[in-house]
Amino acid sequence: MVPLPLIDIIGFWLGIFLTFCILSFLYKDNPFYKLAEHVFVGISLGYVVITQWEDTIEVKLIDQISQGWWKLIPLVLVALMFVKAASKKLAWVGRFPIAIVVGLVAGLSINAVVQSELGAQIRFAAQPLVENKVDLNTAPAEALASVPGVSPAVAQKLVDERAQRPFTSVDDAVTRPSLDPAERAILDEERGGLVGVDAHADVAADQIDWFGLLSNVLLLLGLLSSLIYFYFSAAHKGVIGRISRFGVWVIMIGFGASFGFTVQGRIALAIGRAQDVLGQNLAAADAERVHGAWAALISVLIIVAGIVGWELYEKRKAGSGAAPGGAH
Amino acid sequence: MATGTQSRDDNGALHWTDRLQRFDRRWIFLAMGLAIVLPLLFPIGLPIKVGSMAQATYNTVEEVKAGDVVFVSLDLDPASTPELEPFYKAVILQLKRKGARLVFATTWYQAPPLVERWIRDAVERPLAPAGTEGYSGAPDRAYKKNVDYVLLGFREGKQATIANMGADLRKTFDYEANDGTPLDQIPMMNGIKQLKDFKLLVLVSAGFPGAKEYVQFVQNRYKLRMVAACTAVSTTDLTPYYQAGQLLGLIGGLAAAAEYESLVGKHGSASAGADVLNITHGVVILAIVFGNLIYFIGRRRARTRARR
Repeated sequence: MVPLPLIDIIGFWLGIFLTFCILSFLYKDNPFYKLAEHVFVGISLGYVVITQWEDTIEVKLIDQISQGWWKLIPLVLVALMFVKAASKKLAWVGRFPIAIVVGLVAGLSINAVVQSELGAQIRFAAQPLVENKVDLNTAPAEALASVPGVSPAVAQKLVDERAQRPFTSVDDAVTRPSLDPAERAILDEERGGLVGVDAHADVAADQIDWFGLLSNVLLLLGLLSSLIYFYFSAAHKGVIGRISRFGVWVIMIGFGASFGFTVQGRIALAIGRAQDVLGQNLAAADAERVHGAWAALISVLIIVAGIVGWELYEKRKAGSGAAPGGAH
Repeated sequence: MATGTQSRDDNGALHWTDRLQRFDRRWIFLAMGLAIVLPLLFPIGLPIKVGSMAQATYNTVEEVKAGDVVFVSLDLDPASTPELEPFYKAVILQLKRKGARLVFATTWYQAPPLVERWIRDAVERPLAPAGTEGYSGAPDRAYKKNVDYVLLGFREGKQATIANMGADLRKTFDYEANDGTPLDQIPMMNGIKQLKDFKLLVLVSAGFPGAKEYVQFVQNRYKLRMVAACTAVSTTDLTPYYQAGQLLGLIGGLAAAAEYESLVGKHGSASAGADVLNITHGVVILAIVFGNLIYFIGRRRARTRARR
């Protein structure tokens, strides 16, 4: 196994030292905390400048200019944005590059977002409350053909495919080679009516999924009441007010879930730092080279000694500063 | 913490509820610190229950066959490492032992050094060689660059880069791998021209651009098979895509990564962190309940005194 490079070992030591520098803020603001903070900001900024220069400006602009005059267009657009600084009268010129960027992003996003967010999400939200399920692995061809959009020809293909190898999931059925893209799209759309063995459809054929039914009812009520909360053209009084109030609860539950996940995320970061310090994220051989526990102990000793020295220095400075005043 | 409800008894001493509301918050930090470090040093091994999203992710990756080419997008930064690296290692082990070939890319400028280290640690080195303690699955092997895996590298452009990869992957990366090798000279890239040519997309995503943009800009258009792992904070944003079938699997945060590790059968840093997550969440819940209780007792007492 390739041993951990020395630069990575030094990186781990620095990481451990800077972690304790940041934690020293729990005592109070001090030079070690400031050092870690400034190192972090400085390195982050330096890194961004260098990567943007090397990966974007150099490759996508400077190197391209020699290939034709039209490659200068982005540079000209950027230059136009500086016109505002030179002349207030010609400041309107700077709006062109901004308009191009906004138009580009909007053009790219609108179609994609409408199709993926509105189309797919509305289709999911508009599913029937109770669906008759059809088992892909056992249903006869006629039953498969009863699923809306599945033609008798597709049903027969599914029967032939499962004879070669049983389906492991709806996704498995959708991706079988004998289906053409249009047939795959129809099957994918009708996945709610199909039963495979995946997590999306874990109910046996001809059984009612009571949990799914309850989920669908809650989804419908939550969706409508949340939308009504954001409908400001009618006063939120009476029935509208009560529905809107329910919508607020639904939204608050959503925020609560987000907050819970945020707490989990922050704790995960602390766990990651603790595991790094304890050398638990490394292979055993690498952990032996890093000596995380020793690095942690030495870091703590340096920081504690440094803070004690800094406090003594501050006290002495305050004392010598106060002495002349005290003499008056 | 001083509040408007604080009151003193006849001897001038603060009431116990007020004293508790004023106590130094650093004790909570200390309690959290101990709740994190102690279970790491002395693991309890609390059971990990596998949820439906982790199971769906695992099942989808299990469908990959030997020789299939899988696209792995690592859109992340060092801050998201603790949450995303455990899933990354588990899914790479699963893909390697199935004999899949891997293509890596990133749309985050912060990612390249991290991606190179992750590839070195998990792809070029075996994660679970024969005889690995506590591991009963098939062993994996060391992968070779441009033979078993290809690193395409980073391209600026965020969602535009993702849309471009969907249309023409080779052109997006100037027809060469990150090390300058022409993609035409890499046999495993034969037949790979755009994202829909991959058997599966595995998205390890810390935010924008990431799994959400892959869904918006390429999944819907090319009907791609995708699973994603995200930070805990992003889980509620991405869950609707999983529910609608746009993502075939979703791993949200460290807890779900621990579930994934247990499915793959290799104990990793997420499983080690599972005890800590349970205990620290217990501490947080206790602190919330206790803090609210003290606040309401104090408020009730102040109101009673005011009525007198």
